[in-house]
Amino acid sequence: MSVIAPNFKLSEFIKSLIDDIVWTVLIMSLIGIPAIMMILFYVPMPVIDGELLTPFLAFTYLADPSRTLPIVQAFMTTDMFKIMAFPGFGFAALLAAGTIFVERKMLAKLQLRVGPFYCGKVEGILQLMGDGLKLISKEIIIPAKADKPIFWAAPVLFVASAAAFVALIPVAPGWVVADVDMGLLAVFAVIGFFPIVTILSAWSANSKFPFIGGIRALFQMVSFEIPLILSLLGVVMVTGTLNLSEIAASQSSFPWILFLPVGAIVFFITMLAELERIPFDLPEAESEIVAGWLTELSGMMYGLVQLGTYLKLYAFAALFVVLFLGGWNGPMVVPPFPMEIVTEGIELGPVTAKIAGLPLFDQEMLNGTFWFILKTVGVIFFILLPRGVFPRIRVDMLLNLGWHKLIGLAFVNIFIALGLVYAGVLGPGGLQ
Amino acid sequence: MTNELPPGLAIQKVDERIMTLNVGPQHPGSGHMRIIVQIDGDYIVACDPDPGYVHRGEEKMAEYRNYITNIPHLERPVIHDSCNVLYPYVLGVEELLGIEVPERAKYVRVICSELNRCIYIMYWLAIYGIFLGHSTMFMWPAGDRELLIDLMEKISGARVTHAHFVPGGVRNDLPPNFEEVCLRQVNYFEKRIKEYAAVFYDNPILISRTENTGVLSREDAIRLGTTGSVLRASGVDYDLRIKEPYDVYEELDVHSPVMKEGDSYARSKIPWLDMLESCNIIKQALQKMPKSGSVRVKLKPNPKGKGLDSVYKRVESGRGSLGCHIVSDGKVEPYRLKLSVGSFRNLIALPYLLKGEKLGNMPSVYWSLNYWPVEADR
Amino acid sequence: MTNTATGIIRALNSGIKHIATKRFTLRYPEEKLKFVGDGYQYDPATGVGIAGLKGRHMLFHDHCTGCQLCSIACEGVAEAIAMVKVPEEQKQNKKSIMPQIDYGKCVFCGLCVDACPFYALYMTNDYELSSFTKEGLIYTPAQLQVKPYVEQDSEIIITKWGATHG
Repeated sequence: MSVIAPNFKLSEFIKSLIDDIVWTVLIMSLIGIPAIMMILFYVPMPVIDGELLTPFLAFTYLADPSRTLPIVQAFMTTDMFKIMAFPGFGFAALLAAGTIFVERKMLAKLQLRVGPFYCGKVEGILQLMGDGLKLISKEIIIPAKADKPIFWAAPVLFVASAAAFVALIPVAPGWVVADVDMGLLAVFAVIGFFPIVTILSAWSANSKFPFIGGIRALFQMVSFEIPLILSLLGVVMVTGTLNLSEIAASQSSFPWILFLPVGAIVFFITMLAELERIPFDLPEAESEIVAGWLTELSGMMYGLVQLGTYLKLYAFAALFVVLFLGGWNGPMVVPPFPMEIVTEGIELGPVTAKIAGLPLFDQEMLNGTFWFILKTVGVIFFILLPRGVFPRIRVDMLLNLGWHKLIGLAFVNIFIALGLVYAGVLGPGGLQ
Repeated sequence: MTNELPPGLAIQKVDERIMTLNVGPQHPGSGHMRIIVQIDGDYIVACDPDPGYVHRGEEKMAEYRNYITNIPHLERPVIHDSCNVLYPYVLGVEELLGIEVPERAKYVRVICSELNRCIYIMYWLAIYGIFLGHSTMFMWPAGDRELLIDLMEKISGARVTHAHFVPGGVRNDLPPNFEEVCLRQVNYFEKRIKEYAAVFYDNPILISRTENTGVLSREDAIRLGTTGSVLRASGVDYDLRIKEPYDVYEELDVHSPVMKEGDSYARSKIPWLDMLESCNIIKQALQKMPKSGSVRVKLKPNPKGKGLDSVYKRVESGRGSLGCHIVSDGKVEPYRLKLSVGSFRNLIALPYLLKGEKLGNMPSVYWSLNYWPVEADR
Repeated sequence: MTNTATGIIRALNSGIKHIATKRFTLRYPEEKLKFVGDGYQYDPATGVGIAGLKGRHMLFHDHCTGCQLCSIACEGVAEAIAMVKVPEEQKQNKKSIMPQIDYGKCVFCGLCVDACPFYALYMTNDYELSSFTKEGLIYTPAQLQVKPYVEQDSEIIITKWGATHG
């Protein structure tokens, strides 16, 4: 009987650990901190307590607990925070990771098995991290006859398109990365990028199965974009704006799904098709064309495409919430912030600590985010559910559905919206 | 040098529009074989199945082993259906050696055979489900199969390669308290497979996807020599359990399902109905089985055939008629042994069915033929 | 159209219903399935076996006569059994040879058990035979003599909320 690692020595293991730590600290102090300082010199810094924040002061303030929160608050108003963290990429990636976990566990439960179970002790909660590590450590294999620059660029472009889509979604009043007046048009423009990226990736791989998959994806996405756009016109007609924040704000008393259910159904089905999810996962149909346009992608390139796919899933679900389910609107459930903490401070025995910079988040924003996340999770659940109960459909059935049925239903929806506006039920002078 | 090459080597003129796809052997939708598909856009213009990747020479091997040691390796072609693969061989050897099998052993064999048919069909159904992109239909049959595998394990002591049938009966008697456990698990199994209807067989997306694809008419089904579920899906009521009953099938009430459509949906539904019928047969057999008695005739070591003799026996396996031709020349080994398997006979229909179909129909039509590559190659 | 809609709703409903059904998975290293009896055995007097799992063999040294019938039975099946010299002296075993089984080759068909006329070779419930080396899979007569320690207590339980292993 042998053991797993016959040449294992504890002293060498500890030595390697210490080596790693020393090198990390050395590189951080020599390159990392100067780099951060250089970036801070070029970023416009906020004014706090009447004095302009310099990079040096920022470091000293971090050591002073009473001035930490104002800096955090100042940082939260910057565009950088919005893009990287809260309504932008970080928030979306977190929700996407949650989606992947919930999808796997829910599908497993539906199929009477356990799903990820051992990684992370509690029901496999760290499985996604393990998968990510595996993908990072895998070798990236490029087909010999691939068009290499385009092939390399495609996964990055895919994530970039998805992140651009995420940037347009308003999460809470005022919390949106790009508050464009033509928000919905921008959404359509961004969606238009996905088929291009897909066909580029598929064609540049120079392989048969990705090519068929890419052509299928092109068919599917292009033909479903038309019902997608048409199904949203009803909402634009009754609100009279293309700005997503205004559309969300206009649903303070009732969501548009009550008046435009046909549009919501059409949008939901086209959404499944755009996301390449079962029953519309033809571009990745495993038993016919191996993995479709993803066949030749390996390692982290595949991981990036998966990240982009789930960001896109979150963005579509969020768009559904914003357009049909009332966005952030909902009854106020978050308790108001106790104002006496701001005015009188917290009494900790003899000391009365007055913490500057409170409240960090206002009540409206917290409440809006809560309802937004709740609704988005609900929509994501219904996007995930068909994967458990439906088989894949065929290309001709898909195109038939898109061109014959959904476009017709989208026009019905437009007529309903027009009728509601002309009858004076909705729109200017109607209910609101 | 002349330009005349043999037909297989001649360079064919290639149409610019036509793309040749090698589906398999390294493809998630092929199994251990290759289908060379030529497509024009999304339509299949020609299809050439290329089996033979898992040829193991089982028939030749059998000529060098005696009648008993043939048992463990003759069940290898379809390990999920191992009792049914052994069945014709065991029946044939019994006739060659002139052995009378005890009544209880015959019932035990029928129970094992029906359990194995269900186990095979569940595996087949799991793959059919994942071929259509229905992952739940992969997991449910793969899980519920465990109920029957557990029963087979209790009977024979092995999960898949049972080696349970021997000339002269079965290897061992049923374990104590088996009838009760079997009835309980088979009843639950029956309840479970009825639940598949809502998700799979009555699912409108599945029906619209598989209906009227790969239609095999009644005449073609007979002409191409198909068998088993493919034949019965085309409207031919032919089941060896009824037409040529072996062991105790004539004492049992067997109703073999038949459908008229002959499309991929009918071909996929017949095995499911078969499973319900199998549950019925198992319950009947448990009721009618003699409660005690011997299950195995003691043979002398190294049994021999009586001079030059040959026998052909066939049974209804999970994939249709499965025949075994044994020629004996009076030695301890068979002189020749040939298997006639349902898989290969059904595969012959594939090029006819796929021609003119869409590429998306390829997996569903291919797997609905109830084809098991390893068995076809033997 | 209505058929399609009801079919889709029925499928979704069935899917949601199964989220509340019990999981069927057997979590193998923590739970192990219980088998009937102590393993496959064979009674040469009646010629009928006794049901049980066909797992690792067990050799009774005081019954084995070194007749090689098990080795002959294995020829043509797996050729896993070799007869080796043992140091001990048994009065029924004049040649002092006993079977040694290579589990890298064994297919667990149990024909060797059927071949033994002296109640010397049985099979047990032990199926966890993995080893890091090929040599570790070869079990000598002394190793085959040891009765394996097995802890298998999981069974299929069928309840109103679906079947489960427990």
